[in-house]
Amino acid sequence: MTTENIIEIKNLVTKFDDRVILDDISLEIERGEIFVILGSSGGGKTTLLKHIIGLLKPFSGEISVLGQDILKMELEDFEGILKKIGVLFQGGALLNSMAVWENVAMSLEHHTKLPAATIRNIVKQKLSLVNLKHAYWLFPSELSGGMKKRVALARAIAMDPEILFFDEPSAGLDPITAADLDDLILELQKKLGITLVVVTHELESIKRIADRILYLQKGKNIFCGTLDEAKALGNEEIDRFFGWNKKTKNN
Amino acid sequence: MKSQNENTIVFEEDFYNSSITELLEKLEKLKASSKSKILLDFSRTINFDTLSVAIFLHFEKDNGITLILSDTIKKEIAEFKKNIAFDEKRNDEISGIDSLVIKVEDFVSQMKSFIILTADVFHYSFRALFNREGRKEGSVYQQMLLMGNNAVPIIFLLSFLIGLILSLQSAAQLRQFGANIYLVDLIVIGMILEMGPIIAAVIVAGRSGSAIAAEISTMKITEELDALQVMALNPLKYVVAPKMLAMTVCLPMLTIIANMVGIFGGFIVGVLYLGLSPDIFINRAVSVMTLYYWYQSMLKSVLFSWLIVLIGAHFGFNVKGGAEGVGKAATSSVVAAIFAVIITDAFLSLIFYFEF
Ligand SMILES: Nc1ncnc2c1ncn2[C@@H]1O[C@H](COP(=O)(O)OP(=O)(O)O)[C@@H](O)[C@H]1O
Ligand SMILES: [Mg+2]
Repeated sequence: MTTENIIEIKNLVTKFDDRVILDDISLEIERGEIFVILGSSGGGKTTLLKHIIGLLKPFSGEISVLGQDILKMELEDFEGILKKIGVLFQGGALLNSMAVWENVAMSLEHHTKLPAATIRNIVKQKLSLVNLKHAYWLFPSELSGGMKKRVALARAIAMDPEILFFDEPSAGLDPITAADLDDLILELQKKLGITLVVVTHELESIKRIADRILYLQKGKNIFCGTLDEAKALGNEEIDRFFGWNKKTKNN
Repeated sequence: MKSQNENTIVFEEDFYNSSITELLEKLEKLKASSKSKILLDFSRTINFDTLSVAIFLHFEKDNGITLILSDTIKKEIAEFKKNIAFDEKRNDEISGIDSLVIKVEDFVSQMKSFIILTADVFHYSFRALFNREGRKEGSVYQQMLLMGNNAVPIIFLLSFLIGLILSLQSAAQLRQFGANIYLVDLIVIGMILEMGPIIAAVIVAGRSGSAIAAEISTMKITEELDALQVMALNPLKYVVAPKMLAMTVCLPMLTIIANMVGIFGGFIVGVLYLGLSPDIFINRAVSVMTLYYWYQSMLKSVLFSWLIVLIGAHFGFNVKGGAEGVGKAATSSVVAAIFAVIITDAFLSLIFYFEF
């Protein structure tokens, strides 16, 4: 179970009009690891994520998720995969017309046959996991940015997914909440063996949670491996990203 | 999962949420076929997820099921129970007289804010007449195109049809008394005083009143209004005043078009159906059409134009929630604007009828 590749991408190329956004990306993500995608803004991180969760079709290349080629799949089969993954969008993307608990309960109601009381219990449990018991009846417009993120997280993990995707989960959160979120992520991974694919800029959280990182520079994969390997690589941009040159100068 | 005998199911080490549906279906069948208790043996299960824990909890409460759980599960259930031990009941549900009071209070506060908005909008629009500062170059012109020019075809068509049909229905009655010539009076006065202003206002409320509400409410929920404000651009000046100025000009002009086209519809009926000669129709029409009627018509349409913009803006600024709120604001603004237009029309007609 440890060496199984849960996501495989081969020679992925994306173009918007004639602009190449992702240039020949290949990578493998193993079951149970925390895989962090890094890179400067506009480097194509969100785009890569959208490919894996099927929101965008690439120009060329292959993508397989949970052992199945998602590009050659019927929509119905792909929906089966979607039920096994959870996504936390950059802005939360809660449905504004529904209360917090309904947002969290949504996929449970539509995709499982669980009794209503059990669904309520699950919602309560997920909300207390993200520390939002008091928000049960609130509407998204009544939440702060950080609270929205946490509700979105509760919604993303509602179905106990096998893979969880985060697009900049801690952007706009205070350091304490962000650290709590990291704890939560680590706990989820340890307890449920969830695979996590995270786009983030937070150095602290990268250092704490990342098993392996992918560094995208203008759509090119310039590094994929562990943090220690990245440090040993001596790439100028990566060093600048982590502030590694500075440290050596200062010390 | 394995069934040892009919009413016992023994589970392996793993029990993840993907097996729940299958199990629930199986239990349903078992319960239907026999009345004795069902035994679920989870004593060996150590790998499971939250949904599984929730369903264990559900089985625990089920009297028809005997449950054997491993220690790991028991620990997780205890944890789960701790997590869900909070009251999720909504405590702000209101009933009876209280809700009525709240509705009345809400209406009063809405009216208050509407009056304040009206005063502010007039203030800024009047100043905007003489001072172009604080609004986008050409925005009044652009609004005129959008709210006035683009509404011409539909107003043309509808007022022609209404003039035609109104005349046709009346002509049948007038003919019985040999009062054919009075068709001219009827359609001229009817269009100019009532139908023209109302048709134009209702169409513009539907087209532009809703658009105003949708635009302003979207700007509000995406914090664009806040952004304008902190750039020292007053939203009333920047967004509402151009619409107010444009509408004040456009609706009367649309009303003139509606009046004339409606009367033309009457002309067709008079000439083709009642056999009036075109000369007679036109002479009579000109003599009936006093300037005083036109004043009334224009007064009404100016008032309607203000009502439409103000009501659209009011619902736009008071939007609640997200995307759904925008839809509500647009709908309510149209309903309220048409309501206000007809009430105002009735009121003005009564005043003019009895006073002068
Ligand atoms: N729908 C789109 N149409 C055209 N260009 C896009 C679209 N989405 C993203 N891009 C472009 O792709 C590049 C990568 O974007 P994105 O993946 O969002 O970057 P980031 O790494 O900051 O998440 C950017 O240059 C952006 O302008
Ligand atoms: Mg992004």
